[in-house]
Amino acid sequence: MEELRKKAAELLQSGEVQMVIGYEEGTRHPRPCFISSADDAAKLIYDDRCTGNLAVYLTHKELIGGQKIAITASYFALRSILRLLTEHQIQLDKLVVLTVSAEKEVIQFATTDDITAYLQTAPVPAREDDKALIEKLNAMSPAERWEFWSAELSKCFKCYACRAACPMCYCTKCIVEENRPQWIQPWASTLANIEWHINRAMHMTGRCADCGACGAACPLGLPIHLLSHQIVQEVTDNFALDVNQAVSGDNALSTFKPEDKENFIR
Amino acid sequence: MSKIGVFICHCGENISATVDCEKVAAEAGKMDGVEFATDYKYMCSDPGQTLIKNAIKEKGLTGVVVGACSPRMHEPTFRKACAEAGLNPYLCEMSNLREHCSWVHEKNEQTTEKAIDLVKMLVEKVKKNKPLNAIKVPITKKALVIGGGIAGIQAALDIANAGQQVIMVEKEPSIGGHMSQLSETFPTLDCSQCILTPRMVEVAQHPNITLYTYAELEHLDGFIGNFKATIRLKAKSVDYKLCTGCGLCTTKCPSKKIPSEFNEGLGMRTAIYTPFPQAVPNKPVIDRANCTYYQKGKCKVCEKVCPTGAIQYDLPDQFITEDIGAVVIATGFNVLKTDFFPEYGYGKYADVLTGLQFERLASASGPTLGEIRRPSDGKVPKKIVFIACSGSRDPAKGIPYCSKICCMYTAKHAMLYQHKVHDGESYVFYMDIRAGGKNYEEFVRRAIEDDGVNYIRGRVARIYEKDGKYIVKGADTLLGSKPVEIEADMVVLATAGVSNPGAEELAQKMHVSYDAYKFFAEAHPKLKPVETNTAGIFLCGACQAPKDIPETVGMASGAAAKVIGLFSNSELTREPLIAVVNRSAPPVFSTCVGCFMCQTACPYNAIEREEIKGRDGSVIKTVAKVNPGLCQGCGTCVAFCRSKAIDMQGFSNEQMFAEVMALLNE
Repeated sequence: MEELRKKAAELLQSGEVQMVIGYEEGTRHPRPCFISSADDAAKLIYDDRCTGNLAVYLTHKELIGGQKIAITASYFALRSILRLLTEHQIQLDKLVVLTVSAEKEVIQFATTDDITAYLQTAPVPAREDDKALIEKLNAMSPAERWEFWSAELSKCFKCYACRAACPMCYCTKCIVEENRPQWIQPWASTLANIEWHINRAMHMTGRCADCGACGAACPLGLPIHLLSHQIVQEVTDNFALDVNQAVSGDNALSTFKPEDKENFIR
Repeated sequence: MSKIGVFICHCGENISATVDCEKVAAEAGKMDGVEFATDYKYMCSDPGQTLIKNAIKEKGLTGVVVGACSPRMHEPTFRKACAEAGLNPYLCEMSNLREHCSWVHEKNEQTTEKAIDLVKMLVEKVKKNKPLNAIKVPITKKALVIGGGIAGIQAALDIANAGQQVIMVEKEPSIGGHMSQLSETFPTLDCSQCILTPRMVEVAQHPNITLYTYAELEHLDGFIGNFKATIRLKAKSVDYKLCTGCGLCTTKCPSKKIPSEFNEGLGMRTAIYTPFPQAVPNKPVIDRANCTYYQKGKCKVCEKVCPTGAIQYDLPDQFITEDIGAVVIATGFNVLKTDFFPEYGYGKYADVLTGLQFERLASASGPTLGEIRRPSDGKVPKKIVFIACSGSRDPAKGIPYCSKICCMYTAKHAMLYQHKVHDGESYVFYMDIRAGGKNYEEFVRRAIEDDGVNYIRGRVARIYEKDGKYIVKGADTLLGSKPVEIEADMVVLATAGVSNPGAEELAQKMHVSYDAYKFFAEAHPKLKPVETNTAGIFLCGACQAPKDIPETVGMASGAAAKVIGLFSNSELTREPLIAVVNRSAPPVFSTCVGCFMCQTACPYNAIEREEIKGRDGSVIKTVAKVNPGLCQGCGTCVAFCRSKAIDMQGFSNEQMFAEVMALLNE
């Protein structure tokens, strides 16, 4: 922790970056903080409770402006950063990517390949809470699953906190705001909610880092992150797409690779 | 408020036999926004078109729906009619009542109901149509011909003689292709080289043709009228500016045991070689894979004997880029080798040959100087068997198609054999004799009746060697499948014509489609035989399917005519049915977020990056831009765009949505 604070203070002091995005102690959970002076670096923390995906702030132009910033990225935030680079949303020369390894060591990444290499060796943080529900869902028949999701999603009131928490939801105009034509009914009802969540899962296909931020952000605690989690599984199984890949321009649904299994085409 | 006109065509009886056209028109008249609806026997006829034109003028229509055949048939007709009446042609839509309704359903109530629904969908769509203007694209008037066989030669000469520039790329050291290997040609038995070589020389001498031999297409970017071709000039190791083509090097080269490609392996060549005496250009190349110097590091005999110092061992492959307006693919075909056939000895019998090898034996420029002799012992075969359909028309071998030329060349081979070996006996095993073509049937009859070739209808099950003879076991199906056994001295297999190795790769480089057998696919089997699915890329000859010389030449001239037609305008007019990235007022500029997922999805490389700059020149935003010349309007990018920043002109999301909702909102 001390090492991270020292690193952040150094970066701000030397003027290499103008802002550090990290975590600070919150009322119940650690919360994001945005530090612009070396004096505030002491606020920074990083531990297992820091699970929110800070990469979501990297595309907020009103926050970043033209500044060069440093980010203390969690395992999943690193995945998101790779994806945002693939999608041309951020530039590595305007960014210092830091993480704290399992051995409490602060790592600063120089290239995207370094990030990929780190992701492939570091342990994937397990989310034990979801295991039981995933098993339950997998055991269901399609009809039962439809029942389950219809019941869950009927509670959604479309606050779009899931969208706000997602690093990949950076569009200027979201599909739900599109009204010529009105693809998704704007009100909250079971069908209209399902339309939104299925659309969101489709838009995440091949892009989702599986960080779970959407589910964590839901004020109702709906397990909506499991929809995109399932999509990540499908894409990994069927399209040979590795969520830990370096910036390559590969997209599950648009790029053909000889390794693609194509076992769903008959 | 929309004022839509609906025009229902009976198409003679094609539509009206199963659809109640009067009722469709009456119902259409009641739809929201429809000002005028009528039906007519032939809407595409002159009076039919006049009906539409008058309605546009008299009723002040803002959109037209023609319920008739497929838009692939008459959309241009009706759009033109609308334009003549002063309505933007893209405000006219067709509802396909024939292919999508009357032809596929029985006559009943529901069929008419469906026709009404189809019209309703288009009425809703056309309300959302916007006037569009055709796109103009400049044209580079230079054609690229890939392949220097008879197809490429004919296409290149026709284009060049029309005054346009041509670049010909041939992968071998000489142009000429398979036709240069042939002995005599059916059905007239004129010498193949005698009729081909003047054309080859004409190509070399033509001021409008730039010839690159020993070269291959590396990349093809761009679009119709504006391609950019990168050509790999493989290292010849000989400086053609200095080389006089004296041929001294080829006589002195110590590596003399390389099977000659030109002689189909029946003769040998040296490592530095010209493929054949009439080669164009008649200058040698070094085959680096077989050259002692390149393989072992010493030799350099050719360098020592060359009187002009033209040998240059360290010349690398060169790459040149050419701006091209059109491409003609004329890469030809190949034939299966004898090793494809386990039942005929896996290619291990020296005197079991392919048809192309027999051509070399019969050719005056061949390894035996035109005498038919066995490759194994040089003896003249006294009994020879020809097996037609070797591989062809055999689904078990994966070649269900007919190779088309074999019936004719087998008759020719047997005839040539009889002309050269007067006391010889020849047998042809065949499945059917397919001799469709001018003077073709007469030619085959001549082989059978005048030259005494024995035709046996049946397949050969097996060939095996016994005491220097080849025992050919077959059956005569015209004699109740009576077993036939012939002790032959030589067997010639009319092996199937197959696509060239590398055809698939080339097709992918050019984004041209191909069939299951890797033959290039034409755009329409009847009406667009020389076009490919990619605009500006044409094809001719046996790269599309096996075909004979007259057909190849005809097709090559057809492809050339298409190129010349394209080049006859300085600008190209294209349908504006393409994708566009939206633009809006600052500070948003466009809802495109610049993720460029569309770029990876586009099969035509049509999506570019565009920087939106402020007054001070700084980049505010980088967004996608669709190149209107490249876009084919497939809509993949539209489906891919999460924020719907890309839309198709003429098939916008809003229009499609309106069509679907017209059906759902009963």
